[in-house]
Amino acid sequence: MNAPRPYNLVAELTYRCPLRCAYCSNPVTFRDVPDALDTQTWCRVFREAAALGVVHVGLTGGEPCVRVDLAELVGGAAEAGLYTHLVTAGTTLSAQGLAGLRAAGLRSVQLSVQDARADASDAIAGVPAFERKLAFAGQVRAEGLPLTLNVVLHRRNLERVPELIALARELDADRLELANTQYHGWALVNREALLPSRAQLEEAARAVAVARKQSARPEILFVLPDYFAKRPKPCMGGWGRRTLVVAPDGRVLPCHAAGSLPGLEFGNVRSLSLAQCWSDASGMNAFRGEAWMPEPCRSCPERASDFGGCRCQAFALTGEASATDPACELAPRHELILAARRAAEAQPGEPRFVLRGEPRRSETTSGDASRRH
Amino acid sequence: MSPEDFEARLRRIGEQRYHHRHPFNLRMHAGSLSREEIQTWVRNRYYYQTRIPIKDGLILAKAADPGFRRGWVQRIRDHDGDEQGTGGLELWLSLAEAVGLDRADVERLDDVLPGVRAACDDYVRFVESHDLLESVASSLTELFAGDIMRVRIDAFEQHYTWVDTTGLRYFQSRTRQAPRDAAEGLRFVLEHARSEPDQDRCAAALERKCEILWRLLDAIEAAHDRPRVSPHAQMRVDAGERLVVLPERAVKPSASGCEILDLCDGERTAAEIAAELRSRHPEVSGLTNDVHEFLASMQKLGVLAPPPASR
Repeated sequence: MNAPRPYNLVAELTYRCPLRCAYCSNPVTFRDVPDALDTQTWCRVFREAAALGVVHVGLTGGEPCVRVDLAELVGGAAEAGLYTHLVTAGTTLSAQGLAGLRAAGLRSVQLSVQDARADASDAIAGVPAFERKLAFAGQVRAEGLPLTLNVVLHRRNLERVPELIALARELDADRLELANTQYHGWALVNREALLPSRAQLEEAARAVAVARKQSARPEILFVLPDYFAKRPKPCMGGWGRRTLVVAPDGRVLPCHAAGSLPGLEFGNVRSLSLAQCWSDASGMNAFRGEAWMPEPCRSCPERASDFGGCRCQAFALTGEASATDPACELAPRHELILAARRAAEAQPGEPRFVLRGEPRRSETTSGDASRRH
Repeated sequence: MSPEDFEARLRRIGEQRYHHRHPFNLRMHAGSLSREEIQTWVRNRYYYQTRIPIKDGLILAKAADPGFRRGWVQRIRDHDGDEQGTGGLELWLSLAEAVGLDRADVERLDDVLPGVRAACDDYVRFVESHDLLESVASSLTELFAGDIMRVRIDAFEQHYTWVDTTGLRYFQSRTRQAPRDAAEGLRFVLEHARSEPDQDRCAAALERKCEILWRLLDAIEAAHDRPRVSPHAQMRVDAGERLVVLPERAVKPSASGCEILDLCDGERTAAEIAAELRSRHPEVSGLTNDVHEFLASMQKLGVLAPPPASR
């Protein structure tokens, strides 16, 4: 198959992370995935990515800053000519460490913030981290690096969107990504506790519109989550089309979550070149193009703009990775989304959630592990 | 609220939001605009002038009262003149000549900035799609126009002595007409907006109009920014393909886009870049529009550094 040119590499350096966010998109089996790639292998991956046409790398995880060789990895990526971007929770890196990364060629930083208030932020992250994050944001600006704040939105923090915007301005962020939770990994485990109401989303959208009018800074990204939209999101800009993900174990995936789809085989950079993994792996080709599409996608005029939505969501909700993404209003199983929304609306207050790494509900007997956050 | 309180509310809106506070006007009145900036303003503001009689025609078409129409139609006569070669539009064109622009060139409207066009068209569309009361309320920026005209005449006589004073007749005529027009509009609004919802609608219409005038000056100001590529952008050429890589984003400009970006050196103004493109490609029409739209989009994507906060 003639594979398209990838532009973006997501390098998941590790799944280890000091935070335990209840909506983490890492696989629920993250503990079983080792950091299998050493410094040299990652640097080879960066060079091979550049040769494939990749121009941008996001160093992410988990928490990439727990890698002791991070500065070498930044240097390797920059040397390969990639625009090197760090995605971090900002709790582990010292000012000196950050200065070292910049010297090694780091060009921009994305910092996750869980909430605008310390208590709520620390509750959903499972550890006290808020104040440290604010200090880290200051260090990023002091280094002259562009700063994106990323906030995952859910029913417990949506009402604080105006405060989050104020916080982003206070921290002099260039961009604010208000990313509505996508229900993969731990977020799917906690869906009932995280899924917001339509009213909450509309209120947040209004606050964003007001803020955009006030000032062009920061640039604010906010889109209605697919659970509440009429059409699915163009997941990853299309499967195996623009972005490739290298997981901590070396597997090359089309997105963060695809490794959990059964029956798909992906290449591993420990034994193959990145180019082979990208163009030849059967898993990578499984949903490229349009041949795999069922109706109503196959004849849908929008198939070239949304690529049939998200395969991982289709699998998680219907058990069929090739099903039409239920987020689409036209999907045969759209009822699954409506039912989840109804269930969330019917839940008053703040249902309990489990933190990443805690026993999931199905693994616990009723009554225990039910502390409220 | 009482008509007195309502009037005070409308006047407060003007104090806070009318474009007499806009940085461009402040600089104009302080005498610090360049000749080019004055020219850009005159050329673009002419587009606004051409929309005014159209807007007033739309208002006339909403009015059932002959008395109202008799009064309001005076505005169109003031603007267009009772015969060719007279009226406000004509006076504006003589201002254009006085600041060194070619009259026919201004009249063609080819070089109107897209942001100015959008703001003015928004005004006409607003009047088109709202009722008589809101349309009249939106015209109440005239309440504040008399003062700004006087300030402007002083500023031109004092600072822009290269402009022949015969060019200032438009401003002089407006110092007389604006208070009369404003009084007429205000009377109508105070008489017809008695309920709170109606008063709110009128206040919102006036705010909207202030915003439109503000945007118009924003666009003019942006034309004199000196765009430069963001220091965070990585410009790449691979496989003959130009690519601008930014934090979490890559932008692939077209060939003509690259030609424009290459001129974004922090020295040339946006208007100069547009002029350069026009002289390189005289056969292409609508280039001014395209260049400014492109620059605005690149600014938004972060390819260009944000303008200095102090401009």
